[in-house]
Amino acid sequence: MTSGLTFSKLASRCGYQLFDYIQYPSLIRGGHNGFESIFSEEIVHSLKKEIDYLVCLNKQTYELNKSRLTSTSYILYDEQEFKVEGPEIKISIPFKKILYDLKGEGVMKNIIALGASVALLQADLQTFFDIISDQFARKGKEIIVFNQRFAQIGYDYVLQNYADKTKPLLIKKTQIPQQLVLTGNDAFALGSIIADCRFYASYPMTPSSSVLTTLASWQEKTGMLVRHPEDEISVINTALGTSFAGVRSAVGTSGGGFALMVETVSLAGVSEIPIVIFLSQRPGPATGMPTWTEQADLLFAVNAGHGEFPKIVLAPGDVMEMIELTAKAFNLADIYQTPVIILSDMALSEAHKSLREAELNKLIAEYKVDRGKIRANPTAKNYLRYSLSSDGISEMLIPGLRNYYYQANSYEHLEDGHTTEEAAARTAQVDKRNKKKETYLHQHFLGPKIYGDFNRAETIFVSWGSTKGPILEAMNMLKEQATESAFIHFTHLFPLLTGEIKPHFTAKKRFILIENNSQAQFGKLLQQEAGIDLSERLLKYDGRPFSPEEIAQKVI
Amino acid sequence: MSTIADFSGYTPTWCPGCGDWAIGMAIKSSFVQLGFDPSSVFVVFGLGCSGNMNDFLNAYAIHSLHGRALPNAIGMKLANHKMPVVAIVGDGDCYGEGGNHFLHACRGNHDLTVIVHDNGVYGLTTGQVSPTAHKGAKSKSTPKGIIEISTNPLALALTQGATFIAQAFAGDLNHVTEMIKKGIAHKGFSLINILQPCVTYNKINTYQYYLDRIYKLDAMYDPKNYNLALEKANEILKEKFPLGLLYQVEKPAYHEQALNLQDKQTLVGKSRFTDIKILVDEFR
Repeated sequence: MTSGLTFSKLASRCGYQLFDYIQYPSLIRGGHNGFESIFSEEIVHSLKKEIDYLVCLNKQTYELNKSRLTSTSYILYDEQEFKVEGPEIKISIPFKKILYDLKGEGVMKNIIALGASVALLQADLQTFFDIISDQFARKGKEIIVFNQRFAQIGYDYVLQNYADKTKPLLIKKTQIPQQLVLTGNDAFALGSIIADCRFYASYPMTPSSSVLTTLASWQEKTGMLVRHPEDEISVINTALGTSFAGVRSAVGTSGGGFALMVETVSLAGVSEIPIVIFLSQRPGPATGMPTWTEQADLLFAVNAGHGEFPKIVLAPGDVMEMIELTAKAFNLADIYQTPVIILSDMALSEAHKSLREAELNKLIAEYKVDRGKIRANPTAKNYLRYSLSSDGISEMLIPGLRNYYYQANSYEHLEDGHTTEEAAARTAQVDKRNKKKETYLHQHFLGPKIYGDFNRAETIFVSWGSTKGPILEAMNMLKEQATESAFIHFTHLFPLLTGEIKPHFTAKKRFILIENNSQAQFGKLLQQEAGIDLSERLLKYDGRPFSPEEIAQKVI
Repeated sequence: MSTIADFSGYTPTWCPGCGDWAIGMAIKSSFVQLGFDPSSVFVVFGLGCSGNMNDFLNAYAIHSLHGRALPNAIGMKLANHKMPVVAIVGDGDCYGEGGNHFLHACRGNHDLTVIVHDNGVYGLTTGQVSPTAHKGAKSKSTPKGIIEISTNPLALALTQGATFIAQAFAGDLNHVTEMIKKGIAHKGFSLINILQPCVTYNKINTYQYYLDRIYKLDAMYDPKNYNLALEKANEILKEKFPLGLLYQVEKPAYHEQALNLQDKQTLVGKSRFTDIKILVDEFR
């Protein structure tokens, strides 16, 4: 799996943009692992159906993927290990013999294959050597040289035996923009640091776990406190404790862990304690398919928590949106003093995408921490934690200030925080909390983004979150076939501002709702919140992300 | 100097004769005697009759959910480790719904003082058995008597890593106050289990029941002796209840070992990290 990422980084360092995707079973050892990387001079958003270069470290890779090969595809394999009979262009590398001759362990096959790939694509061997040096920097010079030697052998073997088969596809550019290769989880981690989040708690759960491990590994640099408590209930309650004490805090999990947190989502709602929740979806119900992808927790997230209270649900469509929306989520949680959920899924959380560093730097330069009405000193002398206000938001005093005190109360409460069961006070507090939703809709809600030429397009795709990538690629494919399409992509999923959404759906067009679930959950939400009924749907719930081809086929 | 009145919120609504009255007064007295004021202490209330103290005691506080007070308290401590943190919880709350949090909080030696109101019943829901009810106790939810044996809170805390374990009786206000003060002064996880009659719903564990079975650990008792403490904790099996400081040992608290909390700066008070550039190299 690291070899796949190494290849992606190589493409990035040679000046190309890329997208990659990992497939693996929920096992520690064994099973079939696959890694697909696509690079281009243009921006890449998702996988494609046909495989141009298939690297087979065993026969199973060939068997599983041979239907995706064509007569122009290349296959790298060892003919001593198995035979291939398709029409593809065969590049046999004697992995077994090289390993035997040089006393390399089986895992060194990866490096040989990467070296061979560098030669086949006419990429820069020195750039590959540099990546090896970075990757094994901690293990010492000997390991670096050892790995580079195997890379060189794979590289040389291709040049000596298949020089006529190499293609100038990955030639190193002379002008290379600074790029990063990030997963959605990396992007959430970065976004949280940009936003000055100082506490992150999580109980490991695929596909959210790498946020926990990444933020934990950064602790000494960032000063963040990262904690892995006994269960998800403790996770979110610890974070509510830190948040109450004035610290920007977040938690991360997948559907099952979020189910355990839901009781406390409600507590955050009534006690008005800010919290950012990273919810990376995988196919359920229950344990489901842990290492695959789905978008089936949308309505669960929207409806999470007993009782009525405001909540904001955001869903980024790619790594850059993940950084932006994560940073925004922390501001929203503070401004509205309520839970904000970032919805991801395995396809976004674990796939890498290249990102121009200039874009990130611009975001960092422009980002402002906005804590809303969270104050070190209250403005009024007679401080009331839950004071009624026209926007529904009350001042939240950071505890510790002398001569003040207050309680954050899970019971219904008076303006000063004391418990109440009195009818008028109850109604006033419910109205106050509900008002935050209206304030959000008018101050911070962002309507969907439109891609393509809406006016010329006959077909309009409607979707949210990580399906953005394959839909954008499908639009490119359709354009090549002279079919114009457009795309309405939602990132601010809940609550929805009806007046801003409805106009997009009044035109006489063919709207196709695309979701990675079986019940068209966003379709239901659009129906419920805005009365928009999208009857034509493309739904996928086999655990795999959409391919652009299957989306394009739906249109034609 | 603060006074009892500074800490006093609403007039309590507990039943006349309930042990909560004494525990509530002991908490306020210990805060005054320790020199706290309502701005200088974090309190988390669990949910139940004990948690209802939320409206009667002034402090920077969270009135939490049933069972969830300890993780809230841990969060408060991590965010601002200069503030003392006290959790006011019940037996059903802390040993039942929050049992998992309790044992892991002991393991972490989090610097919290956990004051458990142990009355053997769920008072607020009208008297069902709690995890500390003795085997056979009849209640609305166990009309034929509870099948499970009682939890052993002191042994549980001891074996899971708590570094301060005390027991007191709600009928002895001064002793409860003394134990709470010691518990708060202790650096690390402090459990004060307070035996407390529920005059309304518990007809077994009455004042007289306890008066017949409690005794104070004498001056010769060595609270550093783990095995002795375990022996004392196990006296619950014979319905004997030692009162006093059962166990105390000095060990680093969680926050003293956590990355980024070892310096004098609190998490909430430190300056913002902005050097994002040093993080992104690994993504090249």
